[in-house]
Amino acid sequence: MAVFTAEVFQNEFLPQGSTDVHAIVTLTSQGAGSADTASGAVAEIIMVDTSGSMSGRNMDAAKHAAQVAVDQIPDGTWFAIVGGSHVAQRVFPYPNAVRDMVQMEPGARFEAKRAIASLQPSGGTAMSTWLALADRLFATVPHVPQRHAILLTDGKNESEPRQALSGVVRAVTGHFQCDARGVGANWQVDELREIATALLGTVDLIADPDDIAADFRDLVQRSMARGIADAELRVWAPQGAQVLFVRQVSPTVEDLTARRREVNPLTGAYPTGSWGDESRDYHVAVRVPSKPVGSEQLAARVQIAVGGEVLSSGLVKARWSDDDSLTARISPEVAHYTGQAELASAIQEGLAAKAAGDEATATVKLGRAVQLAQETGNDEATSRLRRVVEIEDPEQGTVRLKRNTDRLDEMALDTASTKTTRVRR
Amino acid sequence: MVSGTTSAVTCTGCGGALHPDDRFCEACGTPVGAGTGRDRPDDEAGSLPPVPAPPAAKVADEDGDDVPPAGGAPVCRACGGRVATDGYCEECGTPAASERDHFAQSPSSWVGGVCDRGVRHARNEDAMALAASGGFAALVVCDGVSTAPGSDVASLAAAGAALDVLVAGGPEGAARVTGTVAARQAAWSSLLGRAAVAADDAVAASAPGAEPEHAPSCTFVAAVVDDALLVVGWLGDSRVYWLPDDGTPEQLTADDSGAGELMARGVPRAAAEASPQAHAITRWLGPDAEDVTARTTAATVDGPGWVLVCSDGLWNYCSPAPDVALLVREHAAAAGADPTATAAALVAWANAQGGRDNVTAALARVG
Repeated sequence: MAVFTAEVFQNEFLPQGSTDVHAIVTLTSQGAGSADTASGAVAEIIMVDTSGSMSGRNMDAAKHAAQVAVDQIPDGTWFAIVGGSHVAQRVFPYPNAVRDMVQMEPGARFEAKRAIASLQPSGGTAMSTWLALADRLFATVPHVPQRHAILLTDGKNESEPRQALSGVVRAVTGHFQCDARGVGANWQVDELREIATALLGTVDLIADPDDIAADFRDLVQRSMARGIADAELRVWAPQGAQVLFVRQVSPTVEDLTARRREVNPLTGAYPTGSWGDESRDYHVAVRVPSKPVGSEQLAARVQIAVGGEVLSSGLVKARWSDDDSLTARISPEVAHYTGQAELASAIQEGLAAKAAGDEATATVKLGRAVQLAQETGNDEATSRLRRVVEIEDPEQGTVRLKRNTDRLDEMALDTASTKTTRVRR
Repeated sequence: MVSGTTSAVTCTGCGGALHPDDRFCEACGTPVGAGTGRDRPDDEAGSLPPVPAPPAAKVADEDGDDVPPAGGAPVCRACGGRVATDGYCEECGTPAASERDHFAQSPSSWVGGVCDRGVRHARNEDAMALAASGGFAALVVCDGVSTAPGSDVASLAAAGAALDVLVAGGPEGAARVTGTVAARQAAWSSLLGRAAVAADDAVAASAPGAEPEHAPSCTFVAAVVDDALLVVGWLGDSRVYWLPDDGTPEQLTADDSGAGELMARGVPRAAAEASPQAHAITRWLGPDAEDVTARTTAATVDGPGWVLVCSDGLWNYCSPAPDVALLVREHAAAAGADPTATAAALVAWANAQGGRDNVTAALARVG
């Protein structure tokens, strides 16, 4: 029996005439259990890059990793293996098999690993075809509630225009979740981030091919440990109010605002995917019409719903006061995550400017990132930034761009930019 | 499988089922934890004693223990939407008025009142207790002193205790007041004095062991209508106005306040009420009160009119008796002369003026 709890962190006191209410809502699930694999409630697809660039060490490591992942998939789980280049093909079940997905059992595990071993690298890279095939395969098991995929590539999505990828990402959004992994230094962070963000997964860099297997094992185990197939965040705001933004802020920064699905005119639902026993933080900002000093108003109900049933609700309030000692307080949680969200965009914008040769903008943005990482105590971000810039004064955010930086360091900074630290309480 | 938390908590007021997140009973509005000592550290008022819901209006001496209002989902006082179990409107987010924050009493067709938190105050420290039977009515208003914690509890206890004393002299009471007009006036004056003492005892009992300087305190005003006889008693600055339809409107009480003392010395009302000490009351009920002898006065009801008993939350916005008469007449006309509806309209009017204090208006239509 999973139980969700909602905790709200905010300063509900607003000065006269003020309209904007900010709150951090921490949602925690307990007793989620693990995914019900034995009864076939989970489907898993592994997409492995088989383009020509994979030849050699990367292909060998990817094959090994896919085999390790297959070992981790519990019996009863529906699964398939996809090999991807400029086209996608179903590697297992074998292309001539009748079924598009099968349930794992020892025989299937043995055959799947044999199929993976026979993969041959060739051709280009068009990831939209991989995602489209995975979507078609998942569609053959419509009764399976929990669908998860892993996508591994080592290169740019060079065989198709970016819009083709974006179009398919939009088309399959909401059908399954997908973690995206890039091995080496020749893939594009923004491409994989687009896939992982839309498909409620994570993006990460695997610098050394030897680390792929451990990562895949971890991804499959984490996926199987999520006993709640699909939960949605719901935000109610009163008549006449405007939801300014809804943002996941921990464990990573993801802006959910545009993913609103209307539940009723006052309530929007935002997909959050599957949940294990974990805690996630959301930053909700609502604009309400100002009320006279002394008034109280509910500014938002922030809820978690599974299967249409609301399991927990956090109340975000507004109280207008003329007591400066109340209204001037800044919620440490709101301040912390506001800084962390700005940190993520400063890093991404700074690296984009650097890649475009705009050193002035890159210096300002990355300097601001150094300052925010310092202020919010994000030491991991600080140490990653240190590999890209020389820090002269972290408090002022004065930096110099390093010459001859390792591309892997920039990519590591970029992929990890959305990871946040929690508030020290 | 997945489920939300549930538990079988019941309301101490009406026994109805509560949701674990409820701060107030959905059925009767009793604050969760009232009378149970249940600790709610997350509640801003957690350190304060639980506030009981005010009793329903008493009809004669019938004991009106916490009677929940007739069923149905609570309705938002701001927009008419449904109030959710979390205590806020499902449409506009306005918090549900707790029974203590806003309540109305209508003991008879000619007597009714409304007691409201107002706009600016966090709690309703005003209290009201009304009773009526035949040609008898008793209207009590107590205004808690907001600098003393627990004044909301104290004022409610005081009003209830005072009403009990007055109802005992009513037509169905144990010590019915009878006789000539002069005898009845003397008897009611004496009962008003005893009512003030009983109210004072109730204030002390509401906060046992409180340091005198932190002890709760409140004003006291009561009006008794005994057919054509109107007798009032008071301590502090809550008021009774007699507003005949034809004739000269009068403020029957004289405030025990800085302003009242200035006016007693001949300073004009406007100047007195604008003085810095205007609102400092000079007499009150509570452990730190020096003298709890109610002043009393009487008037004869010689024609149709309104008796208005109110706290300063109303008269702050309209003080001179002729202006009050116009205000009441105007709202009574719009409310079809129903006393409770008229009182509600007066409270809404005071809130529209800013609602800087708790507002109580109780009315009897006489003559």
